[in-house]
Amino acid sequence: MTPEILDFTANSAALPLMLLIAGLLILLLPLFVRRLNGAQGFIAAGALIAMAFFFRRPPAAEVALFNGALVLNPLSAYLWAFATAALGLVVLLSLARQAAPDESQGEYYFLLFMAAIGLMVLVAAGDLFTAFIALELLSLPVYALAGIRRSKPGLEAAYKYFMLGAFGSGMTVLGIAVLNALYPALSFAALKAGPASPLALAGFLLVISGFAFKTALVPFHMWVPDAYEGAPTPVAAFMGAAVKAGGVIVLWRLFHLFDGGPVIRIFWWLAAITVTFANLAALAQSGLKRLLAYSSVAHAGYLAVAFFGGRQGAEAVLYYLPVYAMATIGAFAVAAALETDEKGPRIEDLAGLAKARPWLAGAMAAFMFSLAGVPPLAGFFAKFYAFAGAVNSGYTGLVVLAVIMSAVSMYYYLKVTVVMYMKPAASEQVYEAPGLAEAVIALMAAGVLLAGVFSKPLLAIASNAARYF
Amino acid sequence: MEFLTNPLSLLIVLPASAAVLLLLVPPQSENLLRRGALFAATLTFLVSLKLWTGFDPASSAPQFALDLAWLPAYGIRYALGIDGISLLMIMLTAFLMPVSVLASFNYIKESQKAYYVCLLLLEAAMIGVFAVTDLFVFYLFWEAMLIPMYFLIGVWGGPRRIYAALKFFIYTMAGSVLMLAAILWLVAAQHTATGVWTFSIPALCAGVLTAQAQTWLFAAFALAFAVKVPLFPFHTWLPDAHVEAPTAGSVLLAGVLLKMGVYGYLRLAVPLFPQAALAAAPWLAGLGVVGIIYGSLVAWSQRDMKKMVAYSSVAHLGTVMLGVMAFEPAAVAGAVLQMVNHGLSTGALFLLVGVLYERRHTRLIEDYGGLAKVMPGFAAVFMIVTLSSVGLPGLNGFIGEVLVLFGAFRVYPWLAGLAVLGVILSAVYMLGMYQQVVFGPLRHTENKVLADLTPREWLYLLPLLAFILLIGVWPNPFLKRSMPAVANYINSAHRQAAPPPAEVKFSLGGEAK
Repeated sequence: MTPEILDFTANSAALPLMLLIAGLLILLLPLFVRRLNGAQGFIAAGALIAMAFFFRRPPAAEVALFNGALVLNPLSAYLWAFATAALGLVVLLSLARQAAPDESQGEYYFLLFMAAIGLMVLVAAGDLFTAFIALELLSLPVYALAGIRRSKPGLEAAYKYFMLGAFGSGMTVLGIAVLNALYPALSFAALKAGPASPLALAGFLLVISGFAFKTALVPFHMWVPDAYEGAPTPVAAFMGAAVKAGGVIVLWRLFHLFDGGPVIRIFWWLAAITVTFANLAALAQSGLKRLLAYSSVAHAGYLAVAFFGGRQGAEAVLYYLPVYAMATIGAFAVAAALETDEKGPRIEDLAGLAKARPWLAGAMAAFMFSLAGVPPLAGFFAKFYAFAGAVNSGYTGLVVLAVIMSAVSMYYYLKVTVVMYMKPAASEQVYEAPGLAEAVIALMAAGVLLAGVFSKPLLAIASNAARYF
Repeated sequence: MEFLTNPLSLLIVLPASAAVLLLLVPPQSENLLRRGALFAATLTFLVSLKLWTGFDPASSAPQFALDLAWLPAYGIRYALGIDGISLLMIMLTAFLMPVSVLASFNYIKESQKAYYVCLLLLEAAMIGVFAVTDLFVFYLFWEAMLIPMYFLIGVWGGPRRIYAALKFFIYTMAGSVLMLAAILWLVAAQHTATGVWTFSIPALCAGVLTAQAQTWLFAAFALAFAVKVPLFPFHTWLPDAHVEAPTAGSVLLAGVLLKMGVYGYLRLAVPLFPQAALAAAPWLAGLGVVGIIYGSLVAWSQRDMKKMVAYSSVAHLGTVMLGVMAFEPAAVAGAVLQMVNHGLSTGALFLLVGVLYERRHTRLIEDYGGLAKVMPGFAAVFMIVTLSSVGLPGLNGFIGEVLVLFGAFRVYPWLAGLAVLGVILSAVYMLGMYQQVVFGPLRHTENKVLADLTPREWLYLLPLLAFILLIGVWPNPFLKRSMPAVANYINSAHRQAAPPPAEVKFSLGGEAK
């Protein structure tokens, strides 16, 4: 064992990641112990519950491991907590309603854990190359998860996702190669200090487009609707909430390598095009999962607007991610509870839900209003913080565009509530949501209802973490 | 603890927590739900009386002030405080709420629990809008109001309710998102100038903005409020929302929600951006007068009573805008009083239309006639309310209208002259409607068996009548309390803007300054 590995294992800041890796290994047990087969879900849930006990106070100072490849600080602790929480919720949803066929149960949880480990490394990555490897560690399991049902829409989703994702990875690695030739080191600090040249610009743009694929900024979003629609619903929730967060964090780091200049202008255009196009395209959707897919693209746009806010923007991004994730996971959980076929429910299928299942409809309405950014739900506070920073830095035009487009978004989010509350049920459909799924939905609903009005604690943690950006 | 002991805060917390409590009631126990809602609304009204008795009519400072830190990172505070204008609006809200609850007892048959929860949440948000002195919290309540109202129209409304609810929500939301951007800009500018994050409305009013900045910011605020008032070209959501909303929804929409637009001008748009407001005032007053004429003419041509009352609201609010934009004490005070009057008389009109609708399930004027014979009590109440809406001397509408016209005549003689035309028109269509509904022969056999007002209906109509008469003969207590606030408003409107910053000044042709 090299000293660094020892250092890694001895460091309590790295504990969550180690525990997750341990969980991943335990998930392999059923391969050897036949009797455990089929219990993978419970093993996964158990591992995560055990992990919850080990989340402790974030490290007071920054710890750099492996020559700075992994940087552990309050920021990484915050994002790790976020990643494991998202993983835990997705595991619970998958336990509630089996997302993968029986013979693939083993892979399913294993791949989920692997993706979460990739995400955790990605957000803590100290240099671009580690970030790329982590990105692949995150993406490859998710490609497989998208198609794990081996059905036609699932395979289509996995195929599209993989092809475009691989293309994005190719661009990233090409960009990294270019930058590697120009800069002495690939750590974010070294990249910031380096010289500016047209070739470096090209390298950065390649890297940025690669990560923009994962974040799903327009025009790199083409895979999103099909992938979300065809993937098992809990996996779609994971893609929307967690995978996107990884991309956002790396883009944020890249954004902050520059003070003005062409890259910032390109980010401006990416944000503007994303909020405009995604919201307009969402208007035409009739499938609930497709709607949520376009909504997730639009929210990537709002997050990109928050990039422009400096320190305030960093806090806003960190506050935005969990708030958005709660509403998205909740909405996908509702979609999972109502789905009767592979592609998930259509919006009309929610008709009469308010009569049949008032609490479920109420929670869904809360998610929709939160995503739309209507006060007093948490989504409003998130948008408010995101836009406040950008206005304070002088990007009023971008914010005006974003608020106008979020008024447009109101229409498609309201459409869901209209169908649930104001249209009679088409058929006497019996909705049965398993208790575990209902628990997740209730938890998320409580989150979006309270995290806004009582945003002080979360904002304080986010603000502390944002100092390490 | 101050959070609960301060009467203003209590007025927000009380209906909101009552709504949460109602959520726990099983949906089958309908009586408990109704009585619970009525009890909560009445209790809120009783608490609001404490404001009335404890209010110092001579003081011009914010009263019942409360200032608690909420989100310190952005300087957002839960800051409350009222002046005479807010006092009247809060009293009006708290007064109309038990009336609306009572009026819903028979009308609402489905999902009663959700209905009363929505009503109480709406009340909390409405009182919140009038009570806060923090711009962020104002925006929060302002938008939060939309959710319960959206459901009230969309779930318990008439046949075109979905269209109306969506239109209502999207119009108002589209109007106010730009206000959000403007709020952010304003606060950021204040932060740049003073180094402090604050959303406090008094602090922001004291800040100085250049005339150019004022113009843009005023435009964003004015648009949000113009949609809500509604001023002439932005009014199209109103007839749809009114016609489709259940009776209580219409009462609150007309009685309180429309006042928020005007209140926004009084409290925010003008004091924050006085110079831009002064420049835009003749145009806004002109739009108000267009609203008076247009609203009256359209109301005249309606066959549906509810639609007629809805368009008459456009006309009445036009009068109020004329008064507010005149910056003249009598006109502004009259406009404030007229806001209360409109809430009472239009609210009462909607209730009376609702009374008829519950009996006959039609609102068309030609389906009635000769009701005086079968419903004498109804006819008498309807008469008083109609005359109050028309502005008969001795009833409340007269005082407000006359003050507005007198005051506005000094500033905008031509506009005031045109507005008088609206008064005449309103008499034509309102009295015409009254005549066709109440007098004449009983043409329809179904109408021969209509029952007169029930005790429950008397119970909610009588308090309204009492205030209609009281303000008509003794308006002074109401005017007196609003006067210091009116004076504050007029003073704030005449505050000078900052000179343009130095770097903007430039000279042509290299000429030295």
